[in-house]
Amino acid sequence: MTNRILLVCVLGAFAGQSLAMGVKGNAAAGKQKATAVCAACHGIDGNKTLDNSYPKLAGQYPDYMLKALKEYKSGKRVNAVMAAQAQGLSDADMANLAVYYASLKSQIGTLPN
Amino acid sequence: MTKTISFLAFALALAPTAGFAKGDAAKGKSLAYTCTGCHGIAQYKNAYPSYYVPKIAGQNEAYIVNALTAYAKGERNHPTMSAQAMSFSAQEMADIAAYVSAQKTAK
Repeated sequence: MTNRILLVCVLGAFAGQSLAMGVKGNAAAGKQKATAVCAACHGIDGNKTLDNSYPKLAGQYPDYMLKALKEYKSGKRVNAVMAAQAQGLSDADMANLAVYYASLKSQIGTLPN
Repeated sequence: MTKTISFLAFALALAPTAGFAKGDAAKGKSLAYTCTGCHGIAQYKNAYPSYYVPKIAGQNEAYIVNALTAYAKGERNHPTMSAQAMSFSAQEMADIAAYVSAQKTAK
């Protein structure tokens, strides 16, 4: 299992892309975009948010973040600030951002039972 | 454990208010029992639409209140979450957020 994951990582690295839990994106490109667009509010580390009402993104599931971004852009998820931000993002940008933030050291997790 | 929660509740009480009802983490814990059915299982996937249910333990408190409010108002769409959120009062949402945001993550 570990070998298989390693293999996927190695193959991904060759393509400059990595497949993080079903989302294919380029984390380095995501970091660049995040620095320009997202970091002011969500923090470049995805943890130090500007305000408590903004979510921590570090370590969040990438497919969830990708869906959130797409829905902000389409208007299915309603938020004025995020709608404006998402308009400027392509599908590839969104995937790259999701993979980048998912890769960061996380402070969020699964609820205890 | 109870001491930790009391301390957290006390610390939260001292924290500057972010403009929403103050949450009671102890009450939030029992309200949040339902949440663990999905948010308490690592890598749990929705049947439809299919994606991983987001990690919420340790998430920012005010964001959780906003998310629940948005589901209740229909600004966010998810059948299960809308149904859950509509069943909570503003105070209950604050209680849940106080509990959920105070959880340390296992990994």
